[in-house]
Amino acid sequence: MEKLKVLHVDIGGCEGCNVSIIRAYPKLMESVELDISYLRNGGYKYDEYDVALVTGGVCMNEPRVIEELKEVREKAKVVVAFGSCSALGGILRFCRGGQAPRPDHRNFQPINSVIEVDYSIPGCPPTPQMLQSFFKYFTAGNETRLRLFKVTAQVKKLSGFDLIDDIVLTGLCIGCGACELSCPTGAIKLIDKRPTLAQERCIRCGTCYIRCPRASQIICLGGVKS
Amino acid sequence: MMPFGESLLGQIRAVYLGRGTDKEILRRKVASGGAVTAMLTYALEKGLIDGIVTSKRTKGLEGEAVVARTKEELLETAGNRWSIVPFAARIKAKIEEEDLKKVAVVCLPCQAQFFGQMRDFPILEADFGNRIRYIVSLFCMGTFAFEAFLNYLRVKYGVRAEEIVDIKLTRDFLEIHRESGVLTIPLREAFSYLQTGCLVCSDYTGVWSDISAGFVESEPGWTVIITRNQRGEELVRGAENDGYLELRDGSHVLGEVLKGAREKLARAQRNMAQLL
Repeated sequence: MEKLKVLHVDIGGCEGCNVSIIRAYPKLMESVELDISYLRNGGYKYDEYDVALVTGGVCMNEPRVIEELKEVREKAKVVVAFGSCSALGGILRFCRGGQAPRPDHRNFQPINSVIEVDYSIPGCPPTPQMLQSFFKYFTAGNETRLRLFKVTAQVKKLSGFDLIDDIVLTGLCIGCGACELSCPTGAIKLIDKRPTLAQERCIRCGTCYIRCPRASQIICLGGVKS
Repeated sequence: MMPFGESLLGQIRAVYLGRGTDKEILRRKVASGGAVTAMLTYALEKGLIDGIVTSKRTKGLEGEAVVARTKEELLETAGNRWSIVPFAARIKAKIEEEDLKKVAVVCLPCQAQFFGQMRDFPILEADFGNRIRYIVSLFCMGTFAFEAFLNYLRVKYGVRAEEIVDIKLTRDFLEIHRESGVLTIPLREAFSYLQTGCLVCSDYTGVWSDISAGFVESEPGWTVIITRNQRGEELVRGAENDGYLELRDGSHVLGEVLKGAREKLARAQRNMAQLL
């Protein structure tokens, strides 16, 4: 089988997602040819790609990045927002200036604010296995398994706050504890069988939301947030 | 094999009716044929897994996540819980405390979805999906908002939570077993006390599992077993070959299972329209 031509583009972030992609690569080499930003010497290797992986959030004050994103969309048949910043804004949402290291720009958005995205894979960062699984199901054409990531591509923000608003305060929480277990910063704790959120610890990665059986089921059934 | 995603029941590889062969399992079975207990006993004794994470009723309707490493421990967990156990939060601690490398989890469809996603798509480095060998989901129509349910039992029937020994489901009634006798409540009445979250759940069998198990009314004493992949199929077949499990074809009951799944989906859609 011909290898998938995969483009990786990083538009700014902490590099965690990029490291994850590099770590995933050894097991992807058989099926994927990765054109990764670190090995690229200016320009793109091909004119067309099967999949583009975009990491990092888009800075709306930076026309160059916005143009680059649009170019990626034209070159790739499928665009995947990899990591929470790219998929949902993530921790970059907090870059409103003033904090160390004092970013000059204050407006970072998930890439689906600028271009159409086919799959969003949240995670801060997502594990290498996550990407390997994605390609496994993607090449097998298993849309059912990938549905959650497909619908997440339509969503512009998901966080512990949304989980509390949409699932806990509406009474839909069933108290399984999936959110507590999946929160990478320990912001969620189950108290009296229901989740509570330590707001200052939430990095808006959206992991709890897509791991919540109830929330993920509802967004997969079409209850898409915008 | 049905095409993936085209059925309400998810991917189906085979459907069986199963019954444990062990006398002890059959004697202590609760809902059906004890096939899940038999399969997992086989997996434990053959070393396919080193523990089973499941839930056990502690008092009243409360449950806790426990690890069973032997047949006897497993038998103690058999039976209905009727409330959700905050499984996920404790399972990691359990797996680490007991240093389990290959576990089977017996859970409800929502939990199967969570564990299935964790295994297929590990978002965090701390995920332990690679240690989950088998996900066995039980058919589920919902769990009780048990504070409300217990309150209702207390107010209407004067039953205290501590008195409840067991709860059984019959066709139209819920039997509350107490030491002092059995109280029968119409199911319709009890269903009002399901958790709101369960009312919008559309998954009856647990489509993310390796094996789904439950029972249908037309085949009392038998467990309906749906295998969804190679892994599930091998476990069921292995248990049969080694004499732990008695199997027969179950394709004729698929319609009945589908009926349950349709009902649950219809209920979910109705409630979603109201609640969301």
